[in-house]
Amino acid sequence: MVLSGRTEAFEPLVTPYRGPLIALASRLTRNREEALEVAQEALFRAFRSLASFDVSRSFRNWLFQIAANEARDRYRRARRERAAFEDAAGRAESATTGLSETTGSAFADPEAGQDRRELRADIMRSLAALSPREREVFVLRDIEELDIRETSRVLGCSSLSVRVHLSSARRKLREAIRRDYPHLEVGR
Amino acid sequence: MTCRKVRKLIPLAAGGDLSPRRARAVRAHLDACPACRAELEDLQTALAGFKAAARAEKVIDWSEGEWKALMARVAAGARADERAPVRAPRPMLLPRWAAASVIGAFLGLAVLGALFRGPSPRPDAAAIAGGALIAAGTGAQDTLTMTLVSPDTGLQVVWILDKNFDWKGDRQ
Repeated sequence: MVLSGRTEAFEPLVTPYRGPLIALASRLTRNREEALEVAQEALFRAFRSLASFDVSRSFRNWLFQIAANEARDRYRRARRERAAFEDAAGRAESATTGLSETTGSAFADPEAGQDRRELRADIMRSLAALSPREREVFVLRDIEELDIRETSRVLGCSSLSVRVHLSSARRKLREAIRRDYPHLEVGR
Repeated sequence: MTCRKVRKLIPLAAGGDLSPRRARAVRAHLDACPACRAELEDLQTALAGFKAAARAEKVIDWSEGEWKALMARVAAGARADERAPVRAPRPMLLPRWAAASVIGAFLGLAVLGALFRGPSPRPDAAAIAGGALIAAGTGAQDTLTMTLVSPDTGLQVVWILDKNFDWKGDRQ
């Protein structure tokens, strides 16, 4: 129905994925406000692009793809802005070493911001140790439990790339848990 | 398969992400190697702990009011898109050089048309009586004749020009 232009049919279509969508956004961004914006923009984009949705695909994974793209775009923008800021600050010879580490996206610093504390369990901080691509792959494969093929499709990369980043992400997280959360190994 | 190679594959083996052939080879090695098996179990435990933490994590969400408002905005955005006037296709704009060429050609044709339009009507008597400069073409397409008539003396001066405005001579 919504594909034929019935806007009121969109809400029941996306409501089942509201939780997974915002969970994915918050895990990718590690920032409350950013996560809400990513999820919201993903819904807007999904609605506008419904005509191009391949009905043979999972609607949830399609939404995930849009959200992951949006999160990545925001991360890149933030990184460019941070680089420009640091460049300008460097020219002005101001002491911005500490400041540059606390500006920009939460990809760079999960510690900053009062709101972020609300959405993280301690162990989830370890996600900050991953590169953006590793985080995307790990969240989609190990937390959202997409298979390798679907993960590669959502991220628009090869299965080989997914495996490489997944392997690296698991290894890094293993080290982070061993270092920061040894109590989790008690039950082993 | 060596321990070194198996340990490279353990992160993928821990999540069941190896191809069946490699998984069989790794499994065969693990059955015979307690150290590698411990490494695999170690990673599987860590991953399980991580997934449990993810499930327990309090995830943000919109309130029901915010969600309804968001859906209304999505629908409003769609309606606005539908209401947006359909833009008439923009007229094709010629490049500047093409427009200049067209204008130049038109002006050139107009000038040539004026110069070589053939014999003009004979000057009427009133005009001659009042004294006038009369342009009168000859029968030839490539010459132009201009006649000046003096109202006082009746003197007539005729200029004959070719198509390049070169002086051909005069007669009185």
